Amino acid sequence: MNAIEIKGLTKNFGAKQALKGLDMTVPVGAIYGFIGENGSGKSTTEKIICGLIHPNAGQVRLFGKDYTDADVRANVGVLIEEPGCFPNYSVWNNMMLQAANLSIKNPEKEVVKVLKTVRMEGAASNKYKNCSLGMKQRIGIAMALLGNPALLVLDEPINGLDADGMRIMREVLTDITKNYGCTVVVSSHILGELEKIATHYGIVRGGKMIKEMTAAELDVSCRTYVALQTKDMNRTKALLACKYSRVEEDESGYIRVYDAKEPEEIVLYLYESGITVSEIRTDKIGLEEYYIDLMNEKEVR
Amino acid sequence: MNMKFEHNRFGKRLRSMLKVDFRRMFTMPLFYIMAGVSLVIPVLILVMTTMMDGSVSVDPTTGVETVIEGFDNVWQAIGTLSGEGSAMSMDLTGMCNINMMYFIAAVFVCLFVYDDFRSGYAKNLFTVRSKKSDYVISKTLIGFVGGACMLIAFFAGAMLGGAVAGLPFETTAGVGGIVMCMLSKIFLVGAFVPIYVLMSVVGKQKLWLSLIGSLGISMLFFMMIPSLTPLDAGAVNVILCLAGGVLFSVGFGAISNQVLNKTSLV
Repeated sequence: MNAIEIKGLTKNFGAKQALKGLDMTVPVGAIYGFIGENGSGKSTTEKIICGLIHPNAGQVRLFGKDYTDADVRANVGVLIEEPGCFPNYSVWNNMMLQAANLSIKNPEKEVVKVLKTVRMEGAASNKYKNCSLGMKQRIGIAMALLGNPALLVLDEPINGLDADGMRIMREVLTDITKNYGCTVVVSSHILGELEKIATHYGIVRGGKMIKEMTAAELDVSCRTYVALQTKDMNRTKALLACKYSRVEEDESGYIRVYDAKEPEEIVLYLYESGITVSEIRTDKIGLEEYYIDLMNEKEVR
Repeated sequence: MNMKFEHNRFGKRLRSMLKVDFRRMFTMPLFYIMAGVSLVIPVLILVMTTMMDGSVSVDPTTGVETVIEGFDNVWQAIGTLSGEGSAMSMDLTGMCNINMMYFIAAVFVCLFVYDDFRSGYAKNLFTVRSKKSDYVISKTLIGFVGGACMLIAFFAGAMLGGAVAGLPFETTAGVGGIVMCMLSKIFLVGAFVPIYVLMSVVGKQKLWLSLIGSLGISMLFFMMIPSLTPLDAGAVNVILCLAGGVLFSVGFGAISNQVLNKTSLV
């Protein structure tokens, strides 16, 4: 069974078509990385899943039932944009209100548990308005976790956080997947972070799903390349460009050769041309580069 | 694999939502400010008008003299006797009375619902609750209780103000009539609040729209309040106001439900 099954989802905002027949499948138990540029339709899709906006056409099913089904929806946790908290209430009171809304038995125990999960147990008495962005995002996740939801929808939970905030958030998300066993849909622009936790990916562009795959499929799809450094980088690059179709210099000052079979082949070729390789290794492109490649491919088409 | 989810009955859903809303209402400063204002307004009105009673104000441009008339007795601040005419008088005593509380209730309901949408609480709520009717019923009941509290606060303030100003408490309406009058006014809040809730869910984060809409539409019904809830009201007035409250709650509640179902909630 799939946690989310979307077919032909269309949403118009006036003359602008935000979603153009989007399809999406999220298996139960998956951590689904939902990727796309700004305005590609990620947030709109998530808001529809959560019942906050209504589609113009298409079908949305959650755990095999229509997304408007009250019983299913009671099992969805959400963090979209900012957490829905009253700024003058303490973190604890905000959590208790949501726990009461969900008719949770023994709410104090449950609130303590979720606050501990998001590393916020020490800040329960803080007023929500005095919390930092990272803390607010974690409070939002804690709130979404109340009642042990079967589906968790997190919209850009990492964005805007500093390095430490990102690390804590990554730990929190990893803990959630381990301990709560819920299906998670998480969108983010920070693909490097997403890559560390996601089991499935969906790449959306212009309101359409252009690729859905598992982490294993991504691994296969991510091409290997040879990265090297020499003393004469310009000449090396020019020489390699004569033999190989795709040669690039990356941000860290390495030349990348994408279609070389073995590093030895490059070392030998350069040696014959009088260039000594000072450092060489093989590596794989990550999600970010795969995503950029995919976007470029689609643009060319 | 089939996942089974617990079925939440209407009663359970509404109970939990009411619990949250009542807890919020009784812990938010807005409620106490509104109730305080409702208590202070009649004291100020009765004391000030009694102090100014009989004084003459002269318009400097036209030279026209106007004699300021205060309240003859405390109960004028609560209502008029049915024999005194059903039409609402536009003088000081006709305007500055307990009926103002219907507008204070509008401000309270609009701010309460606005707070839901502004804070994002509504977003949390509607994600886990697909039945918008729960929300509408809960807000209507909260508005009703809040409005009733304000009417009672005004009543208490009027008694206090009357005592301070030394106004007479005699009336031909009798205690029974006054009790029925207050009950009618309280039940009539039930007819106004669904309008405020509707305007608030239409306005969502646009407080100005909710307020203008609520005050504008309630103004249409405002003139009917004195005739529906006279000081010497009887059981018929109470039943009429109760029926009106139920009818308006069902009608406007259904429209509010549709608005929430058809529009974006963020």
